Amino acid sequence: MTVALPMPRVGPVNDDAPRPIKVVLNWGRRYSLWVFNFGLACCAIEFIAASMARHDFIRLGVIPFAPGPRQADLMVVSGTVTDKMAPAIRRLYDQMPEPKYVISFGACANCGGPYWDSYSVTKGVDQLMPVDVYVPGCPPRPEALLQGIVRLQEKIASETLSTKAIRAKYAGSRRAAAGEVTRALLTKPQVTGRDTGGELS
Amino acid sequence: MIETPCRDVALHEWTAALTAARDEGFDFFDWLAAVDETDAEENAGFDLVCHLMNSSTGRGALARVLVRTRVPDGQSAPSATGLWAGAAWHERETYEMFGIDFEGFDDGTGLGLRPLLLPEGFEGTPLRKSFVLASRASKAWPGAKEPGEGGEGGPPHGGSRPEKPGRRKIAPPGVPDSSWGPR
Repeated sequence: MTVALPMPRVGPVNDDAPRPIKVVLNWGRRYSLWVFNFGLACCAIEFIAASMARHDFIRLGVIPFAPGPRQADLMVVSGTVTDKMAPAIRRLYDQMPEPKYVISFGACANCGGPYWDSYSVTKGVDQLMPVDVYVPGCPPRPEALLQGIVRLQEKIASETLSTKAIRAKYAGSRRAAAGEVTRALLTKPQVTGRDTGGELS
Repeated sequence: MIETPCRDVALHEWTAALTAARDEGFDFFDWLAAVDETDAEENAGFDLVCHLMNSSTGRGALARVLVRTRVPDGQSAPSATGLWAGAAWHERETYEMFGIDFEGFDDGTGLGLRPLLLPEGFEGTPLRKSFVLASRASKAWPGAKEPGEGGEGGPPHGGSRPEKPGRRKIAPPGVPDSSWGPR
């Protein structure tokens, strides 16, 4: 059962606000990032460490944890994304209200990591949805996540948010269907004629 | 660590061997899986392995036993779901990963053998040695494959000693051979 709810808008006030007001609004947004942790593997432990007392990303305004994707501003994908899990991740991403941000945390979420040649692992979460900040490492230290959050906040502070700009930003990913990641069984390529130096098709 | 005793049985004795083991007291079904031995010298096929434990051993380590049989490629094996209902998930996994059919499979749903873990629409049996990994076909291994080959720094100790001639090259399963074309 699906219910067609309208996507929350930024509104005309933000569209036409003078620049100082936009700076203030951006300042407010960058320091109240409700985070939604998509922990899939060992990187999630580092993420939890970053949220606890020693590293404490609440001092950067990252609020753990949103009750659900519909209340979240930031999604941190930490861990190995598999093709089986991909539709669920995409679905939860689609449920987040715009503007939304994604941090890909760790080598697996960035590109597949040590499982890059596995039959079941997605080669990076950016195949499913747009990613704002990539945090490298296997797993990255909590400090690396803090640095990633700071970079994301710089990005938020520098963007001009309007309904039009949001539409443009998410235009490519809004209508994408969940789970467009299946691929057919790989078969041996047919060698045509004497062309043996070509590449795989 | 004591090696687990292993009973090798013929395929047609599979159910009888499992029943006998269960009657001896090995009544706890731990796991069932397969090993791809299709490149074996003789009697090529799949090793079907079942690990059972004796739950009445008492204190200390439980007594355990492996029951093993060889299933030729393309043949089906008798199902163990009649002995342990919990074998259903293991047989479904073995079915999707190795393509081994289980005769008389019944998990109470009437849906028969169907994939358990793989995503919907997945083609192929990924744990067979003949399954070619798509990533390995499209991208070469990013680094040295053999000891002392290429790479910066050379071999770990002492100069560039020439490799022993005739050393067998390692060809891991899932990596397409040279007949697939250059990579």
